[in-house]
Amino acid sequence: MPVVTPLLALIIFVAGAAAGSLGALLGIGGGVFLVPLLNLGLGFPVSASAAISLATVIATSSTVTAAKAGKHLMNFRFGMMLEVATAAGSVLGGLTVQLMSQSHLQQLFGIVTGGVAVLTVARANRRNVILDPNADPGLLGGRFHDEETGATIVYQIKRVPLALGASFIAGNVSSLLGIGGGVIKVPVLNGWCGMPLRAAAATSAFMIGVTATGGAVIYYVSGQLLPAAAAAAVLGVQLGSWSAMHVSPRLPIKVLKLLLASVLGIVAVLMFVRGVR
Amino acid sequence: MSGGDTGLELLIGRVLRAGVTASIVCLTAGLLMLFAVPQVSAWLLQAGIVILILTPSARVVLSIVEYAMARDWTFTLLTSIVLLELIAGAVAAVVFHRRL
Repeated sequence: MPVVTPLLALIIFVAGAAAGSLGALLGIGGGVFLVPLLNLGLGFPVSASAAISLATVIATSSTVTAAKAGKHLMNFRFGMMLEVATAAGSVLGGLTVQLMSQSHLQQLFGIVTGGVAVLTVARANRRNVILDPNADPGLLGGRFHDEETGATIVYQIKRVPLALGASFIAGNVSSLLGIGGGVIKVPVLNGWCGMPLRAAAATSAFMIGVTATGGAVIYYVSGQLLPAAAAAAVLGVQLGSWSAMHVSPRLPIKVLKLLLASVLGIVAVLMFVRGVR
Repeated sequence: MSGGDTGLELLIGRVLRAGVTASIVCLTAGLLMLFAVPQVSAWLLQAGIVILILTPSARVVLSIVEYAMARDWTFTLLTSIVLLELIAGAVAAVVFHRRL
């Protein structure tokens, strides 16, 4: 385990900023980039890298949720119902990670990011809109004002058990690998459960705070969360995602998707190869 | 969505923003003092991390109270289960850690 010197703290800060800005640019959390940077680049064990990354995930979720509050994009009821499953998944994941070897975790990270890379290219943006703005969204559905079109969007929720299952797996993977898990939930909520993409993304970002807490608490209690390294990473990710949202020009969605898929593909191969060796 | 949820949404937004801000202040100060005043730094970093981790849980507690006050027992129950799961995880980790 590397000792956190001023230089290393600065490097972690820069790595956090890079991961955070790339994540914000691509619409996913930075964890999927931060964990390989910490593990392969700086020599932290996977569990310590995941713990540091989860701290940044909590900060990002809280910031994003606070910024989106009041816009009705987040579906609180459905999100809080799914949190029952995601928290169970992340707590179980946080406990099983204590029993898993470094190389197995690296292989798992490679497989999950590889799968996500494929999903990114393949996934469709389903609109999932009930056109009549006066339609009943049901107990779990939602209604929000779309800023781009000016229309009122109404949707109903379908396949609740599938959403619960995806949330459980996302929670599990989140704790094991130190990522938020939105890359698993958003495609399922949008593709099969009836949510428009923006509502699915906002609701997932909201839930991720609780998901990451389930894992982070366990890492913290077990003494695997290094405070100075986590502090540098949290500050870096916050700066990176803030600047990406405010400074960068918006790239066309196709370019973004290809960029995301290729970066994820490289990360997947690097982690998997290291895990096999 | 009911009008009651808008109030809850704004309240949750404020709590999360306050938590992150407090945490970032502690973490920044802690890092800056890392090599000048190590003991104060360690304390500030711990405080920053603990505040950060507890912020989403504070949001869960807040939701339990809000749903209970609105007599929405289904969601009072669901949010209470989430809180219990997080607490159970922490307790299990303590037990686990002592054994290993």
